[in-house]
Amino acid sequence: MTSLPLISFDAVSVDFAGRTALRDVSIVLHQRRIGVIGSNGSGKSTFARMLNGLVSATSGTVRVHDLDAARQAKQLSRKVGFVFSNPDAQIVMPTVAEDVAFSLRGRGLSRTEVDDRVASTLQTYGMSDHADAPAHSLSGGQKQLLALCAILIGRPDLVVADEPTALLDAANTRRIGNHLLDDLEQQLVLVTHDLRLAARCDVVLRFDEGRLVESGDPTSVIERYEREHA
Amino acid sequence: MIAVYRPGSSLLHRMPAGLKVLGFMASALAITFTAGSVWTQPVAAVLVCAGYLVAGLGLREILRQVWAVRWVILIMLVTQFVFLPPVVASANTGRVVTIMVLAALITLTTRIPALLDATESSLAPLRRFGVNPAGVGLVLGMTITTIPVIAGFAATIREAQRARGVPVRITTFAVPLLVMSLKHSDDLADALTARGAG
Repeated sequence: MTSLPLISFDAVSVDFAGRTALRDVSIVLHQRRIGVIGSNGSGKSTFARMLNGLVSATSGTVRVHDLDAARQAKQLSRKVGFVFSNPDAQIVMPTVAEDVAFSLRGRGLSRTEVDDRVASTLQTYGMSDHADAPAHSLSGGQKQLLALCAILIGRPDLVVADEPTALLDAANTRRIGNHLLDDLEQQLVLVTHDLRLAARCDVVLRFDEGRLVESGDPTSVIERYEREHA
Repeated sequence: MIAVYRPGSSLLHRMPAGLKVLGFMASALAITFTAGSVWTQPVAAVLVCAGYLVAGLGLREILRQVWAVRWVILIMLVTQFVFLPPVVASANTGRVVTIMVLAALITLTTRIPALLDATESSLAPLRRFGVNPAGVGLVLGMTITTIPVIAGFAATIREAQRARGVPVRITTFAVPLLVMSLKHSDDLADALTARGAG
């Protein structure tokens, strides 16, 4: 376990427009599948967004896989793939293949290399038949798979998924959950309200009112969370 | 309104994107600057039809493209009929529609990454004047992508208003459309940053 690169938060606080979104969070994580739970507005999305530099700390230090999130945000965005809850807002190019290929722009790859990697990524996730389809015509589950393909083709070291199943039906939730929790080789940070998905992680963090109130074995963290919110 | 790529192996599909864009620009300029000639419109129409046939898209695709811009055509015609003789108004509109259908032929036969590469390399000399070719290419691709999204927002708002029995007025329609579009642009900006393009 300790061979995985570290995610470390050292006394991190974040203030937004007069509101404190994160308060004095300190933790070191080296597990492969990290679940993050908590009520709406508890700070879990802010925590996730800091992992690839979308949100900066007001105070404290965030280090992700040997990079300083504040000073090396550009490098971090290449190392950390981010999946949002709304798949529509992640589509940048008109067709499925074009959108996946977009992630490789500016990496100095030839057209053939890009095409090969796009074809192989789409095949892995069962999206080959949709390669030339307009991306916005896909179903919600397919769009979230597309978002995952668009992230994974860049070969990130860490995947952060912020409520990736929030807008999906039960079958697609299972499908995306299985891809994230079983198939990924990369380290995963999964922010979710779905406690069944959180239970499959190696460690679970629980946030409440901007504070990291608990972290540890998924079963015990989830049990206490359910008891408190019963 | 802007067509999405249709896979194919025709001459037009295989032609370099830059050449197609140059050909389109030359054709659009020729159609504009020879507006006085009675031959311009028929010749342009024949060339456009030939282009769609060569691309294997068929003439019905032209009708689909024209139908997609029917509101633009209507607005152009009505506003010109106020100030110009009907023949001139119709000829002007015909030229614009021809150019739009020709533009659609480019996007129907060219993958967006190829179009972006062509845009970026053709704008590269302008870098010294502060132009960001990658940024221009990205805006081009995202514009094509975002049009169906905004159209989807508009349809959602119309349905929601009908469901609540609210009459569709410009204010009750435009304000939520603007709010949804701004929210989408915020989310899209986050997604671009997360994908290293921000």
